[in-house]
Amino acid sequence: MLIFVADADVSWEFSDLIEAIYSAPTYHLVFEGCLILFIVGLLFQHSFLPSKRRGGSGDRLSKAEEDQLIAEWQPEPLVSGDPADEALLASYQRCATSQVGRSVTYSDGRTLVNFATGNFLDFIGEARIRDRALASLRHYGVGSCGPRGFYGTMDVHLHLEEQLAKFYGCEEAVLYSYGFSTIASAIPSYAKRHDIIFADERCCFAIQQGLEASRSKIIRFAHNDTAHLEELLQRQAEHDRRDPKKARVTRKFIVVEGLYVNCGDICPLGELVKLKYKYKVRLFVEESASLGTLGATRARHLRGGRRQRAGRGSDSGWNRECSGPLRGFVVGTKYVVDHQRLSGLGYCFSASLPPMLAAAASEALTMVDEMRGERTARLKSVSDRLHQRLLAELDNLWSVEGAPMSPIKHLRLHRCTGENSLPALEAACAAAADAGLLLTVARYVAQDLGQPAQPSIRLSVNCNHSDSEIGSLLDFLKSYATGLAKKCFQQLNISRKVRPWII
Amino acid sequence: TAHSDPNPNHVYFNSRGIWATYVIFIFITHFIVLSIPFISMALAWTLTCQIHNVITYFWLHWEKGAPFEPLDQGESRTLTHWEQLDDGVQFTANKKFLLVVPIVIFLLTTFYTRYDQIHFLVNALSLVLLAIVPKLPQLYRVRIFGINKW
Repeated sequence: MLIFVADADVSWEFSDLIEAIYSAPTYHLVFEGCLILFIVGLLFQHSFLPSKRRGGSGDRLSKAEEDQLIAEWQPEPLVSGDPADEALLASYQRCATSQVGRSVTYSDGRTLVNFATGNFLDFIGEARIRDRALASLRHYGVGSCGPRGFYGTMDVHLHLEEQLAKFYGCEEAVLYSYGFSTIASAIPSYAKRHDIIFADERCCFAIQQGLEASRSKIIRFAHNDTAHLEELLQRQAEHDRRDPKKARVTRKFIVVEGLYVNCGDICPLGELVKLKYKYKVRLFVEESASLGTLGATRARHLRGGRRQRAGRGSDSGWNRECSGPLRGFVVGTKYVVDHQRLSGLGYCFSASLPPMLAAAASEALTMVDEMRGERTARLKSVSDRLHQRLLAELDNLWSVEGAPMSPIKHLRLHRCTGENSLPALEAACAAAADAGLLLTVARYVAQDLGQPAQPSIRLSVNCNHSDSEIGSLLDFLKSYATGLAKKCFQQLNISRKVRPWII
Repeated sequence: TAHSDPNPNHVYFNSRGIWATYVIFIFITHFIVLSIPFISMALAWTLTCQIHNVITYFWLHWEKGAPFEPLDQGESRTLTHWEQLDDGVQFTANKKFLLVVPIVIFLLTTFYTRYDQIHFLVNALSLVLLAIVPKLPQLYRVRIFGINKW
């Protein structure tokens, strides 16, 4: 046995080694022969791609199935002949000649009170912000000409990020240049293929794009229903108990919006934070409409939630509505948020926010700070008053969706008034324009899963809307709906006269 | 070198000089083992063979994912390095090379150990179990008894 210690008896001369081949045991030579044949066979193998490469079941369509699918395919027309889209196309012909602020002037000379676009704190047209933007324009030029990592970072960006972080009471903020891509980049930079995301079913389209890009397992829970969410989290916890190794590498997230743009509701943040700590889930709050509009209560919730631990939550806001020029940002703890500087695709591969807009946003935030929530409080009271009046005066004419203090409300025609269809609502908006009000029907992309079953008119309240403007809105809504209801009643009466057995 | 693949693990083994680097690593290991004065030639070769098989097993077939964050949205998190090489294509030149090298080392080892029985058993077992079987396309993405799945 040729083992450990160098043995003087055994010869290690090369010629002796060659001779040893002749006295080798047969099984050994057979084994070696097999290996050499294996190598030779290997050299003649062609390379191929196994069908279960991407982790799928390995199914491939047979030629017959492929042919059948190709034969069945019918191309869709490039332009749909949907008549409801005529109104949408017509709205593109409208030409505004003033800034789209609290009121808008159009080329036909009419000035309409703006209840359509989100200008909650009335910063559009604010002289101070405009002057700061113009000064930055003269200093920096228009665009930043590069992504953040490639000559696109300027002092205004860093200053704005610091300001945002301080405003939210968080450690760090990351600035994006396009609002939509903020949440659509933030979610996939943290959630990957084998992770689980619990998302509210009425989330906006940007969030849905982010969820799809993440390739994670998406579990939707009923809108604002924390009981349902807890039930789903409980179910997931049981799955985890059964397979702890898998659970250890699975990241779980909850994605909600602070103020749902599609519903006007506010998310139950306090309960969500409790669930977050109970089930060890990371929380994404998309605050595009709630920045500066919901005020101190929310800030308290956020800070309270985070003070308990190092804070694995993160807030994301793509804010193009509230402080005008700001495009998008994510705030949270430094450890969490810094990850996006390399992994947030919208941050790394898009040109950074134009310095003019960054400066303007910075000015807007300063104004919000200086006013110490004055405009926010005003906005909340205006929204609340509008909500109370809507409920009181338009009870059987319009149905209102949205929280009382939310600046976004959705109106739908009540059953008694008539059918709540897209053409009917578009007609209402056209009539509103004649009455001096700018209203809009909420529009969605066809693939948007968060769009409601019933179309609606989306009202956006401005903190500086006067009582008379609100009054004229309510008067119009009441008169229009009453007119509609009368017509509907008349038609019903006519049909009753013709066919008296219908009650 | 720049490439469009979201996971550099797919393509780096096509770089110039990687094969030579791999062989040089084996040589260095072998020389270190040979420098230990009191072990015999046979043991030195067996040790080299074993160390090579064990280290390549852990490098290629045990550790999953990548030491950096690839842009593939988490696809490679559950894949071993062997499964990531060449993006899952079987029997590429790289994979044939990595299959042949342990066999060549084994053949040299059996030659230098003068066909001893114990050495043969040990080396053959590690060759087949650690070096050949995990590299076969039949075991692509297979996790026996769910070991190392997550």
